[in-house]
Amino acid sequence: MLKCKINGQDVEVAEGSSIIEAFKATGQDIAHYCWHPGLSVAGVCRLCMVEIEGNPRLQIACNTQVQEGMVINNNSDKIKDAVKWGLDFHLINHPLDCPICAQAGECQLQIQYMKFGQYDPEMAERKVKKRKVVDLGPKIVLDTERCILCSRCVRFTDEVSKTNELGIFNRGDHSEIGTVDDRPLDNPYSVNTVDICPVGALTSREFRFQQRVWYLKNETTVCNGCSTGCSTKVYFNEEGMWRVKPDHNDDVNGYWMCDEGRGTPRFVNKDSRLLSAWNGQKDEGQDLEAGAAAKAVGQTLKKVVAEQGSDKVAFVVTGQYTDQENRAFLSLAKDLGVKVYHWVNNPEKMDEFDGLLIRGDKNPNTYGLKEAMKEVGVGSPWSELESSVSDLEYVVVAGPENHFAYSDLTDKVDLFSKANHQVWFVAGDHDVLRAASNKVSLIPTKTYVEKDGTYKNFEGREQRIRRVMTLVPGALSLTEASKLMSGQELLVDGNVSESYRKTNFFSSNERGYL
Amino acid sequence: MEVKILSEHYHKDDFQGLTGYKANGGYEMLKKAFTMKPQEIIDLVKAAGLRGRGGAGFPTGVKWGFLPDNGEPRYLLCNADEGEPGTFKDREMMERAPHQLVEGMIISAFAIGSKKSYIYIRGEYDDSINSCRQAIKEAYDAGLLGKNIMGSGFDHDMDVYCGAGAYICGEETGMISSLEGKKGQPKLKPPFPAVQGYLGKPTIVNNVETLASVIYILRDGVDAYRKYGTEKSPGTKLFSVSGNVVKPGNYEVPLGYPLKDLIFDLCGGLKPGRKLKAVIPGGSSAPILTAEEAMVATLDYENLAQHGSMLGSGAVMVIDDSNCMVDLLGVTLHFYHHESCGQCTPCREGTGWLDKIVHSILDGKGRLQDIDLMDEVAGHMMGRTICALSDAAAMPTLSFLKKFRDEFEFYVREGRSKVKGQAHAQM
Repeated sequence: MLKCKINGQDVEVAEGSSIIEAFKATGQDIAHYCWHPGLSVAGVCRLCMVEIEGNPRLQIACNTQVQEGMVINNNSDKIKDAVKWGLDFHLINHPLDCPICAQAGECQLQIQYMKFGQYDPEMAERKVKKRKVVDLGPKIVLDTERCILCSRCVRFTDEVSKTNELGIFNRGDHSEIGTVDDRPLDNPYSVNTVDICPVGALTSREFRFQQRVWYLKNETTVCNGCSTGCSTKVYFNEEGMWRVKPDHNDDVNGYWMCDEGRGTPRFVNKDSRLLSAWNGQKDEGQDLEAGAAAKAVGQTLKKVVAEQGSDKVAFVVTGQYTDQENRAFLSLAKDLGVKVYHWVNNPEKMDEFDGLLIRGDKNPNTYGLKEAMKEVGVGSPWSELESSVSDLEYVVVAGPENHFAYSDLTDKVDLFSKANHQVWFVAGDHDVLRAASNKVSLIPTKTYVEKDGTYKNFEGREQRIRRVMTLVPGALSLTEASKLMSGQELLVDGNVSESYRKTNFFSSNERGYL
Repeated sequence: MEVKILSEHYHKDDFQGLTGYKANGGYEMLKKAFTMKPQEIIDLVKAAGLRGRGGAGFPTGVKWGFLPDNGEPRYLLCNADEGEPGTFKDREMMERAPHQLVEGMIISAFAIGSKKSYIYIRGEYDDSINSCRQAIKEAYDAGLLGKNIMGSGFDHDMDVYCGAGAYICGEETGMISSLEGKKGQPKLKPPFPAVQGYLGKPTIVNNVETLASVIYILRDGVDAYRKYGTEKSPGTKLFSVSGNVVKPGNYEVPLGYPLKDLIFDLCGGLKPGRKLKAVIPGGSSAPILTAEEAMVATLDYENLAQHGSMLGSGAVMVIDDSNCMVDLLGVTLHFYHHESCGQCTPCREGTGWLDKIVHSILDGKGRLQDIDLMDEVAGHMMGRTICALSDAAAMPTLSFLKKFRDEFEFYVREGRSKVKGQAHAQM
């Protein structure tokens, strides 16, 4: 460990740390654009200037290593002047089109300007004209005029995704980010470049112009897109979820996440959801209240088991639910004495891994489900279900929430149609279910942003997900549904976690408050 | 008085070829070098006090001493990019005496233990590229390059690499990037090239003139070498004189030689009726000297530093009273704007900004605050970037504004040149 002094504060840092890391470790403020903890040092924005005692020249904090006894500061007038001018150089050719920029509100230029700038611009010359609204690929749009050439995105494609699509072309103030021969920037991690872009140069095609970021709240949770379980931040308002960004977690995903994982709003948001329970057959039936439907199903199952035997009912589970839900649901199956089958959506790809983050197992909690099945002592081979399904009275399915990962959904609906009834706990509203040939009960479930619980990722790491919003008021978690089915009552507010109370931004009575 | 050591045989037509070079004592010092230990040569160069002739004036022997002893392959790179406006000394040597460079490089490579060297020549220098390639071929054919040179057991390979003619590729790490096949952009230091340079291996980058000088340090010994020059700037140096003198060209004089004598004796002075106005002593990036300063300055690293300028690459640009300083700064800044690699923000944006301001003044659209603004912009570009290009643009700006402020103010107020009487646009 090395001792140094930062702005008068004694600090101890590990050997080999750069000064900027020491600043970050102590939580001290330091301006920077090009430095990113997950990328190599470029040293080009020249904003992280510090004064080191005994050195007449200002040094950049990102490429200077801390040495024993160093006395460092970045709050002198000399530094403030240097940063102000550093910022000014960034701004002279910047279009300053904040009102129509999707990055506004989380733009580092705006943030630094509020800290160091707030002056009238002195640039009286014509700005350099560059390409705007460049179609960089299916997911990303580039504005080269807004770009400050920090090279973070270039380093990302070079060092992290290792796809090397991006480069800086031309020289001097005509330099531009681009791809060779205008080939698209299209890799499974491309949207990370949007996250690390400190300005509005790279914007996500999906999110741009959708929402002003200052109207969105965010909450950290865990991605349910695959068994890696990346830490993520979900951004939402009362209408729903708008985007997902990675949250720093050295143990799992570092600073990154895949593009696929950012697609969760597609199955979380209201327009794709099952809003109330439904009983029917071949597209004809009626809506029901979810809790009442669950209770009714529970009573029927008990009756069937008592009258016709437990082999007339089968439970089907998926790796999409939390540990707590799995235990409740499996315990119910155990109590009823029925068999439980694990529906594996893509068995041939389950063990695939791309070397960075993406795993073939598109369920967040396969590990936890297997563990729970072992503990509860249930689970039978899938082939048994396939051969016996036509003898069954009821198939009760804890269906997938992320139906995009379940390409075999239709096949399975057809399979379960061979039984007399199928009951689905499912988040999404699917035409195939309503069109099924046997009698169908659909009961809406909560998605991963509407409930508390834990997932265990591919290596068994237990991670917590949080309830951050309520999108479908009637939807049940599998725990709640299991309770109702077993005849217990639900105490609606009895179990709301403290964190949810704190983060339930929409419960305020204040007018205009989000 | 000129002292011709490096340029002694320049006038001989056959000196370009191996036969002529050998007839004038060529490759004798290589033979001598092989009788010495590499460390002895390094010590000799250190003792002679040879300083880098490319521009920075860093002691060559000291630089060689930075190589880590880690068993990794080492590279010797000859910087023949010669991009500094006004400099043409290396070009003349490569065209007239390429073997002098090749021999100097083999000796230096032997001293630092390098088995591979490159001569990085800017793309526009066709004649230099051809003559160096020819010289290398002749050296290979004569067993002076390749395996077991002159039976010494020392192997060395040499190649010419053509740049595309970018100023920034004359910066040593920019040159290394270019040589590695990347975009010619300077690299962050540390690590320095001596530790991690070309392909991440220990690398020494030396100027053409520096490498050739090694031969004569070996030939004449430390005392004879130190006979010329000053205590801290020993030896002779090639100066490229251009501008408003009667006889522009390359002149070899001992360091410490009076600038006045170079202009008025060797170069035949100014054209009749003209008065000396200013001198840029070390390439376009060196701060300008007024006529008064130029009359007392001597051509060595310390004296020019005392005058607030630098020896740089030794490109002396003589400016007489027919020149408009606003126009000159406009040309200079246009160059740096065009040549900035665009990596560091202060340089990328600053060079363009300065260029645009000075051209606004030249277009008659100047505002009085522009002069102070330029001063401030340039001041904030100094020492804020990875390489010295930003400084190279800022230094002339600051010195022009300081020493010839009246011309800038006149141009802004009147919308025309104080010297030429007309606006730039009308000329």
